[in-house]
Amino acid sequence: MVTIDSTLLSQYIISGVVIGLIYSLMAMGITFIYGIMRIINWSMGEFYMIGGYLQYIIITHLLGVEDWYLGVLLSMVGVFLLGMVVQGLLIKPMFQGSVERRTEYATIVTISLGVLFTNVAVIGAGPFIYSPPGYYHGTRIITLPVSGTRFVAFIGTIVLLSLFYLFLKKTWWGRAFQGAAQNRMGIQTAGIDVFRLDQIAFGIGVALAAAAGALLAPEFYLHPRCGSIATMKGFEIIVIGGLGSIPGVLCAGLLLGLIESLGAVFLNPSFRDVYGFLFLLAILAIRPTGLFEERERVA
Amino acid sequence: MKEISYTKITGFKWYSLSIAALLLLVALLPFSTGQYYLQVFTVAFYYVILASSWNLLAGYTGQFSLAHHAFAAIGGYTSALLVTNFGLPIWLGILAAPLSSALMGFILGMLCLRMRAIYLAIATWAFAESVRITISMTYEITRGDLGLAVPKLFVGKGQGVAYYYLFLGLAAVTVLMIMFIIRSKMGYYLRAIRNDEMVARVMGINTTRWKILAFMLSSGIAGIAGAFYGHYNGLLTPVMIDFNEMAFIVIMVVIGGIRSIAGPLIGAILIELLTETFREFGEIRMVVFALAVIAIARLYNEGAMGTIRQFTQWISRRKQAREGVN
Amino acid sequence: MEKENNELLRTENLTKDFGKLRAVDNLSLSLEKGEIRGLIGPNGSGKTTVVNLITGVYRPTSGGVYFSGRRIDRLSPDNITHEGIMRTFQVARVFADMSVLENMLIPAFTQGTSRREARHRAQELLDFCLLGKLSNEPTRNLSGGQTMLLQIVRGFMRQPLKLYLLDEPFAGVHPAIKDVIINTIQKMNREEGVTFLIVSHELTTIRRLCSRISVLHGGGVISEGTMREVANDPRVIDSYLGG
Repeated sequence: MVTIDSTLLSQYIISGVVIGLIYSLMAMGITFIYGIMRIINWSMGEFYMIGGYLQYIIITHLLGVEDWYLGVLLSMVGVFLLGMVVQGLLIKPMFQGSVERRTEYATIVTISLGVLFTNVAVIGAGPFIYSPPGYYHGTRIITLPVSGTRFVAFIGTIVLLSLFYLFLKKTWWGRAFQGAAQNRMGIQTAGIDVFRLDQIAFGIGVALAAAAGALLAPEFYLHPRCGSIATMKGFEIIVIGGLGSIPGVLCAGLLLGLIESLGAVFLNPSFRDVYGFLFLLAILAIRPTGLFEERERVA
Repeated sequence: MKEISYTKITGFKWYSLSIAALLLLVALLPFSTGQYYLQVFTVAFYYVILASSWNLLAGYTGQFSLAHHAFAAIGGYTSALLVTNFGLPIWLGILAAPLSSALMGFILGMLCLRMRAIYLAIATWAFAESVRITISMTYEITRGDLGLAVPKLFVGKGQGVAYYYLFLGLAAVTVLMIMFIIRSKMGYYLRAIRNDEMVARVMGINTTRWKILAFMLSSGIAGIAGAFYGHYNGLLTPVMIDFNEMAFIVIMVVIGGIRSIAGPLIGAILIELLTETFREFGEIRMVVFALAVIAIARLYNEGAMGTIRQFTQWISRRKQAREGVN
Repeated sequence: MEKENNELLRTENLTKDFGKLRAVDNLSLSLEKGEIRGLIGPNGSGKTTVVNLITGVYRPTSGGVYFSGRRIDRLSPDNITHEGIMRTFQVARVFADMSVLENMLIPAFTQGTSRREARHRAQELLDFCLLGKLSNEPTRNLSGGQTMLLQIVRGFMRQPLKLYLLDEPFAGVHPAIKDVIINTIQKMNREEGVTFLIVSHELTTIRRLCSRISVLHGGGVISEGTMREVANDPRVIDSYLGG
């Protein structure tokens, strides 16, 4: 067995874990939307891509790299608004009219949405690869060198996740969302407009995906199909962590990052993506609902 | 008294006459077009097979699987590898293909038996991705992204016409077989399962058996189609297991009319024709298709077939009203 | 011995727990062939759970269900149907994408009946229930009461139908349709010997239909007898008032 330099190993692990956590943002979006509306948005990767593109445009034409974090926030806002519009047009009717098979409808519509966005992106931005400048110079965690962008993206992710957590637990809206996830009819009788909640939840969910896209834009090149890899990672995370469980998503994201980097170090680095997927299949076979239990909605 | 389901087309005579006319047109096509469109239609017939078999599982039985393209790939690669590595005659490879894809369909079906719709979608998606990754990973055998060269079924002059009629025949057989199934008792059971699985069980339907059967049938058909495709195209690449292929199938079926026999047929041919005819428009094609699917789904329309049905029913109602007045 | 032969359904110490909640508690019930039994009780007393246990939707935590002497509690719902047992649901569940007639055909198909026979009997039954003209209508065009009627009459396609469990068949149903339902139940009981177990809140209707009534409370039977006996039973009065 090859002796591994412990520095190299730690570098790999940290790097992997960081990426895993950032993808968790996206998975968080998927889970959050699922929790409120009980649908899977198959176009999350495309919102990720849009977030990345918005960020690119903002920092190259408007703000400049130093204000990259503002760019991330603005991208999130932009995608949030887009998400609300999409939800109002396409998803909301699911709950009002007589759509009988909701899952089938949601799957068809969100897959088509993904196709739509991807191709619009090719038309709009061309099939080229864009690479926004890095956000920060290379730095060191303790003594380990780490890419500057990844470092600050990591910090950004932690900030966003913490804000999201606080939002859910401490604000009125957050508690309303928690209530909706547990008992949709119940909060309606409490006088809350569920449709408004749905719309905002969708907006937040896709905004999180956009954040991931914006944060990772300099790391992984921007092109119209860059969303599909993100979708894949996002789904891997929610399968592993369990749909509908927020702590599950976090753990799964870290776990995924860890497994991928370990696999890359000890086995073959070119099959990096495969290890996570194998892990996913193992989880699916043993415990199809993921590592964490999904809390059943009461009503 | 004839059993007329409101989901069927009224005016049976006109319907079968127009089908016969279309069939005639289609059968005579090779005498009027060049090589290019011959190939376009051949590929269109391939998609007819995929779309119809997916519709059986997803549209009629309600198992919205996102792994259909993977079964075509499994069939294709199985046949190709058996023929190139073990020297099997092509027809034997083609026979072996549905065995392997139906077996995988069986396994996937068993895994998904108790899954709710959302988990079924995710699990089948994961399955398809694993197949894709496996094929890419085992590039020593499958030649991965470079593509696997596959011995062709027909060679030489006139092969274009031969392939055309081959795929036309396969597509016709598939559509007829599925029509036969849907009109049989099995068709009732599958539709019942989709409508309300619990009630279906309470009515005496062994939902497990029929769901697995639906999985195996649809994956078997996809597998054989994939095998034929490989021996037609002469090359197999993992592009056929890209998620886009699955999206394509969904688009075709939705636009043509999910839950109808002719829907996938119309959808596949229409979309493939439009895709090729407007090739120079590039991505706009997909944008238009995606918007069409969204519009159709949003307006609760059952695609092209749904519109045709509504039209014929409107006509027959007007006819009845007029006769009633008399 | 005579009584033994006439017994169609028996539950023995039937118990069902959902986690910490005991929905059915040592329930012992016995139905005779040809009976029309009412099953009443306050909300949450476990009535639907009992139906689900008998029809294989739930597995009992302990105890058993016996049908003509044979144990059936481990059978799947479709196998229960093959024993000649049918049930309806509290919320009328029919196949939405099929016409009224097509809905009727399914229980006959699973028995192996030919399409012609099935269609014939289906139309007969529908005509008897005054739904005959609607046989080609999509079920989503039916009113709530009509849907419930369809759900009920669908069960009679099964031949022979030995035991029919109806869960709240009268809830929210138009009085005219209620009458049709009652007539149908009585006719089937009289002519084809179908045994019924009817879960309902509507005491007047139950009194009209049922010879014997079992009262459920807290997952167990607290009283059994004719309507009058049961109505005067202090335990029953308590359960409805006290809870």
